[in-house]
Amino acid sequence: MAVERGKRLADYGLHSERVMWRGKGPGKFEEELGDLERRLGITTLAKAVRWAQTKSMWPDTFGLACCAIEMMSIVSARYDIARFGMEAFRASPRQADLLIVSGRVAHKMAAPLRQIYDQMLEPKWVIAMGACASSGGMFNNYTTLQGVDKIVAVDVYVPGCPPRPEQLMEGILRLHEAVKAGVPPAYEVRGVAS
Amino acid sequence: MTDRAWDQVPGHVSTTEAFGETTIVVERDALVDACTYLRDEEGFNFLSDVSAADYLGWGKAGVSGYIGTPAGRNLNDPMTQGYQRLPEAKPKRFAMNYHLLALYRGSARRLRLRVWLDNAESVPSVVGVWPTADWHEREAWDMMGVPVEGHPNLARILMDDDWEGHPLRKDYPIGGEPVRFSNAE
Amino acid sequence: MTVAPERARIYEGSRIPARVPTILEVSQELRDTGDILEVNFGPNHPSTHGVLRLVIELHGETVVGLQAVIGYLHTGFEKNMEQKTWWKAITYAPRIDYVSFQNNELVFVLAIEKLLGIEVPRKATWMRMLLAELNRLHSHLVWLGTSGLELGAISMFWYCFRERETILDLFELVTGYRMHTRYFQAGGLAEDIPRGFYPECRKFVESMPAAIEQYEGLVDQNQIWIERTRGVGLLSAQDALALGQSGPVLRASGVDWDVRRDEPYLAYDQVDFDVVVYPHGDVYDRYRVRMDEMRESTKIIAQCLDRLEDMEGEAWIADDRKVVLPPREELHTSMESLIHHFKIVTEGYRVPEGEVYVAIESPRGELGCYVISDGGPKPWRVKFRAPSFVALEATATCLRESLIADMIAIVGSLDTVMGEVDR
Repeated sequence: MAVERGKRLADYGLHSERVMWRGKGPGKFEEELGDLERRLGITTLAKAVRWAQTKSMWPDTFGLACCAIEMMSIVSARYDIARFGMEAFRASPRQADLLIVSGRVAHKMAAPLRQIYDQMLEPKWVIAMGACASSGGMFNNYTTLQGVDKIVAVDVYVPGCPPRPEQLMEGILRLHEAVKAGVPPAYEVRGVAS
Repeated sequence: MTDRAWDQVPGHVSTTEAFGETTIVVERDALVDACTYLRDEEGFNFLSDVSAADYLGWGKAGVSGYIGTPAGRNLNDPMTQGYQRLPEAKPKRFAMNYHLLALYRGSARRLRLRVWLDNAESVPSVVGVWPTADWHEREAWDMMGVPVEGHPNLARILMDDDWEGHPLRKDYPIGGEPVRFSNAE
Repeated sequence: MTVAPERARIYEGSRIPARVPTILEVSQELRDTGDILEVNFGPNHPSTHGVLRLVIELHGETVVGLQAVIGYLHTGFEKNMEQKTWWKAITYAPRIDYVSFQNNELVFVLAIEKLLGIEVPRKATWMRMLLAELNRLHSHLVWLGTSGLELGAISMFWYCFRERETILDLFELVTGYRMHTRYFQAGGLAEDIPRGFYPECRKFVESMPAAIEQYEGLVDQNQIWIERTRGVGLLSAQDALALGQSGPVLRASGVDWDVRRDEPYLAYDQVDFDVVVYPHGDVYDRYRVRMDEMRESTKIIAQCLDRLEDMEGEAWIADDRKVVLPPREELHTSMESLIHHFKIVTEGYRVPEGEVYVAIESPRGELGCYVISDGGPKPWRVKFRAPSFVALEATATCLRESLIADMIAIVGSLDTVMGEVDR
């Protein structure tokens, strides 16, 4: 599915705030689905597959630094990511769909990070959690990778130092909405070898 | 401890007291003897920390000291026109500091042991005296380039094995990416 | 609870490896059998508490060779702090040991204050103590949750994180942020203590002992837990001292030493608490030390609350305008305040020339900060003595004759945070 670069998520009709914000209206996927279901009572295979992908997108345990502690909080009972089917953090990248890079990446760790990313099977998504993973954060120096998008293709950047669990969940839910709307994973958009 | 002169320590050069802490300087060649003496005779059974410091450019960077009275800062007299005190030059470029602690229940004595070194001058290892110095000395080698003689496993510890240069030295650049509208900080 | 401090012999002699104290080496006869398997517990492993790499050599299930490789999280803190003013450098400190973040800020700020010779108002001192103890609870809860998770007591994680969320709520109430609060300034606290904090903290203090009982009820008498932790990871007192261990690891080996009692900082000499010591030097004793420390921390927090409630309306930061920002109302009327504000914000306050080493008791042990100042607005050298860095040096000694499953328990019991190790 050809996607033009530079299209914003809002152009796909994504309103992920709706999930957090009552009264904002249904997202594009729900609208189309509701329409079809009403008229024909079927859906396309691609849409069904994408829906299923979002409902159990298992993250990989890639906690590096402080953001990892907040990532652990989303598994805890208060923020409970199990309601989105994601509490099963897989230790093996071969079983994981989502790589949440949480924490600063040193150059020494860049090679293992890329190796983990390569070991994941398509389709796979990457969330750069926190300022350090997005851009190097406050550590603009000889040893910190200035943004993990230099070595892997990132789908969602979550700012914060560290981001609150709700911020991370917003990032994850936006990713879900994007997947449901048909936005391909970042490696396809950016043409990155994976 | 403030009355001691620490003269009996092998290789003793000088003692200074500041901010409630005692620093003794010993000769580089007598370091292991000094450490053994301090551990066995004076009871410093615990090595807290080994820190290397690089004094390249000390006092020259335009930070010309600190406005106050010659005796120090005077809070009660905010209009004091001060004497600017330039930091004194240091004997050599590198200082290797050993923070010692005499750890006994209810009492604690701390001491800083210092050795002055030139660039590429090596320091003898104290792993035989306190095994915990192992990684601390490796870090001093890795980050500051202070070679440690007699260390059983002197390899890089924090940086990659094939890294060139010693990052914490003052002539090693901070690195990273240039950021617009950002000054030297 | 506090065991008689005579040091029982945990094992004879020293188990520190002879050639390199931190590397457990395989003997030549074992290597000649051809039965050695070298396994890499890589930097990305769910049970290694962060990016620690252990290269182990196995003979069957027994670990006969071990080498720890670190540096995967080296962030260049010390060099970055040299580039920033003192004020900005305080922001870097909490991210070093990111689980007990306020302790790092505390040690750095204490070092700056020692150099400045500034006197901190007592309200700030007691509040810092309260927050440091809350942080100790936070750190032990995270440790207990993750250790339980690794040893199979998976539900421990959710129980511990329930209380941890309450503590983070308290931090957010006071400082505005859950982690990396940056609430300590040179001279005191950044802001006054908000209304409503004392009743909330009291509620927490009252509910915490029951929660600790709950955690103990889950694992304390559990046969699996006891078999996996008793007698595992032995470290004698002499070896612990030689290896520079401190904190719970040292106290679990029978050495009665706590920086809070023996070299008091803040107001620890004015509060009543016991130092918890256990004699057996195994993983189970380290667990017990931390559980009892949680109770002691709750006691300290209650005493801090009692004292703080009487200090309502006092100053929370020192009055020295050369270091501390003046109150904003004054900027409209006083020229000197405006100049001070300008100088402090742009150039930064100057710290007199000198060097200090300040040590505090972080949840992991002795956290030290060695600061050299050249009299200017930026630090010349900052070195953090990280207890986890030293704790990892003890892995080779603790892991003698252990199975691979014990290795997970032992590395967990040393409670290492890789941010501190690698800085």
